[in-house]
Amino acid sequence: MSLLQPFNKLPSLNTANILLVENEEQFQQSLADALVEESSVIVNVRLAKSLPVPTENETSRPRIDLVVFIINLTSELSFESAEASLKYLDCGYFLGKVCFLVTNARSVSVPAERLDAVRKLAALFHCPLLFVEDQTADGVASAAERLLTILKVAAGHVPITTSLYMSILAQCTVPPDIDQPSFD
Amino acid sequence: MGDATKRLLQRLIRRTRIQMLKTTLEKWDRLTLAQRQSMVFIQSKSAITEKLLSICEENEWTVKHIAELEMIHVMDNPNQGMWYAFRLMDPEDDAHSVELMQFKEQFKSLLHELVRHVSVKIKKHADEAIWIRIAWGDGFSQPNHLKPTYVVHYLQTPFVFVTSITSKQKPLLSQALTVSTRHQDLKNANLSGRKLTAIRDLLMQQYPQVFPTNFPGHTAENNQMESNPRRVKEQAGLEADRLRMAHKAFGDGMLPELESAVYELETKFNGHANGTMTDREQPFRCVVKFTSTNLLESLRQCASSGIVSTVTPLFSSIPRSGKNYFVITNKSHGSSSKTSNITEPQILDSKD
Repeated sequence: MSLLQPFNKLPSLNTANILLVENEEQFQQSLADALVEESSVIVNVRLAKSLPVPTENETSRPRIDLVVFIINLTSELSFESAEASLKYLDCGYFLGKVCFLVTNARSVSVPAERLDAVRKLAALFHCPLLFVEDQTADGVASAAERLLTILKVAAGHVPITTSLYMSILAQCTVPPDIDQPSFD
Repeated sequence: MGDATKRLLQRLIRRTRIQMLKTTLEKWDRLTLAQRQSMVFIQSKSAITEKLLSICEENEWTVKHIAELEMIHVMDNPNQGMWYAFRLMDPEDDAHSVELMQFKEQFKSLLHELVRHVSVKIKKHADEAIWIRIAWGDGFSQPNHLKPTYVVHYLQTPFVFVTSITSKQKPLLSQALTVSTRHQDLKNANLSGRKLTAIRDLLMQQYPQVFPTNFPGHTAENNQMESNPRRVKEQAGLEADRLRMAHKAFGDGMLPELESAVYELETKFNGHANGTMTDREQPFRCVVKFTSTNLLESLRQCASSGIVSTVTPLFSSIPRSGKNYFVITNKSHGSSSKTSNITEPQILDSKD
């Protein structure tokens, strides 16, 4: 069983590599197109349905700077698949090189427990949790922009900042009364 | 003008859209030029109904004329109402040389012999199908044109599609059809749906078929080469495998738009949680129904997106056998049935 390692390869010049993991394989396509258009940095996007990644690609795969798990809140399978994929990452990734992206959080059919469960998961691993909108072009563009800020830090392109510093600022926290029933 | 004629015409106008009504009337071609010009189709439906009723009085149309109009309308919009497929069995030697005129005369005369009052209209559609409209009466009453049965048959094939027929009328239709097409029996083909075009394409296999090959083409890899080199799929091999499996079961072209599939289970209860149910000897009866706007396409996408890990024979038997109603029972073993092994379910034809 091969874990994805954060530092076992050499980085390339002016390049940032990102891995998008999504069970439905829908949003990652449009997000990848938006990310690749960035001009100041060469962005390589790898797409996967779940981890572990196949070992055949080991030699051709560059060093992954940021792993993003895309969870569709309306589907329980999406959350479970993301949770199951977490164990195939080396623990070095959890120092700021993992990010959770959540779509459809405003949908009526989402049970509140699932959102709480995602928040607890993100807080447990000290990772940032972003809420994005995937249906419109504007939503995809703004999601790509936010991801690029985190990616540039994780790839070391921003001076005086490392992903560990960023994670202290950007990590998800749960309020202490998250398990109490809310008033609505 | 008869009351029945008026009611039929009113019902027809009520059920059709104004644009459709215009094209149907043009096809029917029984309005004079003056009448056609006087019909303004922008008015409300009640105004149009009044106008048409008055034209009907003028031209002295009978119920037969209106029935013809209704038939033209249904022939152009076959995707309404529930259609049931049947298959003619055991052809005799001259079944392949049945001709249109011969079939028409025989069918009409047979049906008139069987039922005292019946009104039969036969038309040939552009795509070689024969459409038959039957209004049933009985020994005492005139044919009821408000509940006609439509039958579509492709000559020299064993396929028949029927809509709105009661169980009393079915044996009469069956006898007339079997004798006039020189077969022995009419059997239920276990296929039904609202769209005639879909069930016809499925049963007669008029959609892109799957042919097993030893050397499949490499279309998936070619697509990968063309896309952006900076955007790479990690699990492309697995994805290609899933796509291949889906295409093996369903093909890669347009699929007929089947709307539902029904599985009736008569298997023993096999769950572990409930002891009382498992101990029962009688089979557990349960009906599972799948519905969708395009069922076969959604099953294919289930397989290619990985929601289903393999295409079970339950799903792949829908396009293979052209049915959408299945009865599943356990395979019976000769040895003792006290062992609690899970027996293999098998798909049977439904009864009748």
